Parts: sequence; C-alpha cells; structure tokens
Amino acid sequence: MPRIYFKTVDRYVEFAEGEEVNVLRMAIREDCDVPWQCASGNCGTDRLVVEEGVENLDPPRRRERARLGDLLDDGYRLACQTYTRGDVTFSWDPDQVGLDDEGGDGSGGGSRAGWAGTG
Amino acid sequence: MAEMMSPSEFRVALEQAFAGTMAKDASFSRAWATGKLHKQHFVHWATNHYHYIGPFGDYLGLMYANTPDHARDAKDFLLQNMYEEELSDDRHTDLLIRFAEACGGTRAYVQDRNNAMPFAKGMQGWMYYVSGRENFVVSSAALIVGLESQVPSIYRTQYPTLINKYGFSEWEAEFFDLHITSDEIHGERGYQIVLKYADTPELQQRCLHYVREAADMRFAYTKALYQTYVEPDLGPWVEEEEREPALVG
Repeated sequence: MPRIYFKTVDRYVEFAEGEEVNVLRMAIREDCDVPWQCASGNCGTDRLVVEEGVENLDPPRRRERARLGDLLDDGYRLACQTYTRGDVTFSWDPDQVGLDDEGGDGSGGGSRAGWAGTG
Repeated sequence: MAEMMSPSEFRVALEQAFAGTMAKDASFSRAWATGKLHKQHFVHWATNHYHYIGPFGDYLGLMYANTPDHARDAKDFLLQNMYEEELSDDRHTDLLIRFAEACGGTRAYVQDRNNAMPFAKGMQGWMYYVSGRENFVVSSAALIVGLESQVPSIYRTQYPTLINKYGFSEWEAEFFDLHITSDEIHGERGYQIVLKYADTPELQQRCLHYVREAADMRFAYTKALYQTYVEPDLGPWVEEEEREPALVG
C-alpha cells in the first residue's frame, strides 16, 4: 500500500493502491499538523519540501506555479494543490506562515497577481 | 433502534451513503467526460449551475447562524468557506460566468433565473431549506459531505477533457481547477465536523439520510441536464465503455 511520510511529525499515512490522493486532505484527515490556511493555493502556508518520491506527484497546477514561482525549483509543493499516487516524503517548517505574511519570496505576489494579463 | 457508531464506522457509512448515486456517473457528466458535448450545452450547464450554487454563501450563512457558539471550529470553517466563495480571490460565480462566456454565453443570460431548469430551482430551494431549517451538523452532512465533497471526483474527470478535448484554456476553465483542490479540503473538514458533532444515534442517522438525499438530488439534477439540453441533439445517453448499468443516468 503506498504511503505519505510526513517527516516533520514522523507520521505515515497509507492509501489504497491505484488511488491518487490530495496531500493536504490526507494530512487533515490524519491530524498530521501540516500548517494551512486557505486551501485555494493563494496563501502558500502549506508549502512542503519534497524529500523523496517527486516522481509520484502530479505536475504543479497553474495556481501552484503562480504562487510558488522559483520555490518549485527548490523542491517545494503546496499540499493543497498536490496529488500523489505513490510513496512520497514531505518536510516543512512547523512555524511557517503564508508567503505574503512573511514578506513573500519575490516570485509573483500570489495567484491573483500571477494571473494578470493571461487568458 | 440504531446504535451509536464509532467515528470510523460512521465515516464509512457516510461514504457509502452516496456511493451509488454520485453525480460523476450521471449521463450529463459522462457525456461531458467523454467529449460528446457542444459549447451551447456548457452554457446551459453554467446557467443552471449558477442558480444551484450561486447562493452558496447564503446557504453557509444560514448554517453559520444555526451553529452554536460552543462549536467554534465549525463556525470558523463555515465562515472561511464563505470567504473563499466570495472574497479571497476571484468570486467563484465570476469564474463560472467566465467559463460560460468562453462558450458563447453572456453574464445576463446566466444570471437570468428564467433560463434555469425547474430542477435547478429545486436544488436551490432544497439547499435553502436544509441550511435554514436543519441542525447545523445535519446541514453540514447534506451540503458539505453530500454535495461539496463530490466535486473533486466530478471535475477531476471533466477538467482534463475541457483542456485536451474541448480546447479551453486553463484561464477559461479555472472554475473547475480551483474546485478540484479547494473542495477536497472543504469536503474533508465537513467530514470532521459531522464526525465530531453528530453525537447521538439519531443525529448520525439523520446525517446519513440527508447525505443520501443530497446525492439523489444532485444525481437527478445532473441527469435532467442531459435530458433537457443534450438528448434533443444527441439522443438518449448510451454508455460506450463497460460500466454498471445501474450507475448510468
């Protein structure tokens, strides 16, 4: 059975073979203390470092690309926007806050700004 | 008389309550996912969907008022859900109208209640009734577990088809992509609230009843979309792939 390892709290969460599961949903369901706020890919509070298993994750969604920007290249994903179909390991800073709340990362200032001029 | 279920037993019962009547399996959803629809069908879908979920903030507001102060986590969830529907980013109904406009519809057409099916008005009335009149945990079971938690399963099938088959841009179809992920979380929080606050056998059974009813309502509504708008163009729905006949609307 595939499993997500939430390394920061040393918790494993299993899910059925053949399923694709949302990472934040599994963390909430199993009380794994992943920080989160909006669930829409806006705040960035739920950014996680992918330590292993990146090949099992779905590609970053448009909102996630806009919100994380260069942080994607540093191995970050947003838990609320990410689905996995196999084993994966995540870590995070337990005290982290939203990207805008800490002054941002300079990568675009949130999905709404990131969408400007598109479409 | 029913006995009190453990949280894990109750969760399984809730999941099973709508397993046979999920809207993703109704004829309109299947025609959508298999690339059979035309843009005009999507305009009708968006119009009806607007009148079904457009007042979602109202429904949540009624539930908020019915939620006691001691259930602060439930109140906070409802408030956050309302905020995300209306204010945190683009208003969700505006994203829906954006999609309708990409299909050739107009804001005025979508917002005109006269263009919605009776089934859509029935969904709206049912949601006002449940959110305004029922215990908050029962209305959470109905609207959040029974309806909102189904959304990712519907749109995860339909969204790739919108991009790859029908040729919409990610911008035009943002309404769907947004709800795939946000309703995963809303649905999960809904489960948690229902599991926590349905603290008598009677409340648990009432939650199960309304989850079934919600799923039946959405399935019938989705099936009616096909019968009203698509069947005159494409004929009765015939599933091409191997599926259980009982699941096909």
